[in-house]
Amino acid sequence: MIRITQYREKCIGCNACVEASPFRWRISRKDGKCVLVGAKSKNNIYSLVVGDDELQAIIKASKNCPVNIIRIEEL
Amino acid sequence: MNKVELLSPAGSFESLHAAIQGGANAVYFGIEQLNMRARSSSNFTVNDLKEIRKICKSSNVKTYITINTIIYDHDLSLMKSIVNSAKKNKIDAIIACDHAVLSYAKQKGMPVHISTQANVCNIESVQFYSAYADTIVLSRELSLRQITDIAKQILRKNIKGPSGELVKIEVFAHGALCMAVSGKCYLSLHSNFASANRGACIQNCRRSYIVTDKEEGVEFEVDNEYIMSAKDLCTINFLDKIIKAGVNILKIEGRGRAADYVYTTTKCYRAAIDAINDKTYTKAKVERWMEDLATVFNRGFWGGYYLGKEMGEWTDDHGSKATKIKSYIGKGIGFYSKKKIGEFKLEANQLSVGNDVLITGPTTGVVYTKVMEMHLKNTSVDSVKKGDIFSMPVPSKIRPSDKLYKVIDAL
Repeated sequence: MIRITQYREKCIGCNACVEASPFRWRISRKDGKCVLVGAKSKNNIYSLVVGDDELQAIIKASKNCPVNIIRIEEL
Repeated sequence: MNKVELLSPAGSFESLHAAIQGGANAVYFGIEQLNMRARSSSNFTVNDLKEIRKICKSSNVKTYITINTIIYDHDLSLMKSIVNSAKKNKIDAIIACDHAVLSYAKQKGMPVHISTQANVCNIESVQFYSAYADTIVLSRELSLRQITDIAKQILRKNIKGPSGELVKIEVFAHGALCMAVSGKCYLSLHSNFASANRGACIQNCRRSYIVTDKEEGVEFEVDNEYIMSAKDLCTINFLDKIIKAGVNILKIEGRGRAADYVYTTTKCYRAAIDAINDKTYTKAKVERWMEDLATVFNRGFWGGYYLGKEMGEWTDDHGSKATKIKSYIGKGIGFYSKKKIGEFKLEANQLSVGNDVLITGPTTGVVYTKVMEMHLKNTSVDSVKKGDIFSMPVPSKIRPSDKLYKVIDAL
C-alpha cells in the first residue's frame, strides 16, 4: 500500500502528474490545479492510500512535479 | 518629450505598497498560477483583486495583471475567470503572450499589453499585435537604435491599438536578465521538469558549471565565472537615451524580490525620470542612484543589449552583490500615533542607537529609518537585546504584523 500526499495550494497546473498517471490525477476546470482523485482534504493537504500496482506511475508523477508537492510513503 | 510611465513589480502586498511609496505610476502582478513567477512570488488570488485595485486607485496607480505563461487547454477556464475578474474589478490591463488570452481579453473589452515573451523585434510584429494591444513590450535583446526605429515607424505609419491611440512601447529598465532570448528557456525543464515558461524556473543559469573532457575525465571550471548568469540590467546611467528613443513605459523587473528592493529601485528610477523631465539629470545624480541601487539585491550591473554590446556580461558571483544586507531582528507590536513612537519586540541579535533599520509589512510597505533613541520600560537605553520589548521613534505608522530588520554593510 502507498500513501500519496499532495500539497495542492502550491500546484502550478502544469499537467505533469496527469501525464504520468492520468487515472490518479486530473486538472480541475475550476481553478486549473491538479486534483488527486479519491483523496480527502485536511487544511488543503490531500491524501489517499492506493494499491502497489500504481507505484511506478505515482513515483513518476512525484518525480516530475516541478514544485515538489507530491509525497509518497510506502506503508 | 513624452510622459514616461514607471511600472514596478508587486509580488506581495508589501511590495505593492513599496512600489507606490517609491513613486511608481503603475504596478504589475500575478494572479493565481498562470504567470512567469508562479514559483518564486507569493502570488495574489482572485479575491485579492478588489483590495489591490482599492489601494492603487487611492494613489492613482494603474494595475496590470500578468497572464503570460504557456496556456494549455486545461488552463483556459482559469484564464477566462482571471480576465473576467480583472474586468469586473476595473484592472487597467492584462499582460499576455498566448493568443488565447489576447483573443479572450479583446472579446471582453479588456486592454492588453503584449508580454516580452512574445519576442516582438520588428515593426510588422508591432502592427500585427496592434489589433489586440495598446502597449507592446519589446524584446529585451533589441538595441536602442532598433527601438528608436520601431518608435519612429509607429508614428509614421500611425499604428494604433484598439483604444484608438498610438501603440505604446515598453522596455525593461532594471532587474534580472536571463541568458535565454525573451525568457524562452528550457534548461529548467530539462534538468528538473520545471518549465520556466510555466513560471517554475529553478534558475540553473545562476549556478557555476564544470566542463568535463569526455576522453580522460579532466575537468575545467570556466574562467571562474558563472558563464550563463547574466549580470542585472541597469539603465539609470543612460535613461535619457532610452526615453529619447521614444519609449513610453519603463518596467522594473522583480516580482520575486523583497519590498526593500522594489522601494529602492522604484525610488531611484522615479527620481531619474523626473530629473530628465526637469532637465536636471546629471552625472553626480546618476552616481548617487547607482550607489543606492547597489544597496539592494543585484548580481552586478550592466546595460543589457541596448548599447549594442556583442556579448552578454556574466556575473562572477552566485548570489547578490548588494552592498547592504538586511537581517531580521524582530517584529512590530504597537504604534503611538500622537508621538509617532513604534513598539517592537527584538527576537534576535541586538540593536543600538545609530543603527539603520528597515520596517516592512503588508500595509506599511517599506520604512527606512535610523535609530535615534530607544526606550526600555520607560528608561532611555543605548542598546536592546534579544527578548526585549522596546520603543523608538518612527517616521510613519507601523503595525503589529510588521517585520523589523537591521540594515548593515555587506562585507
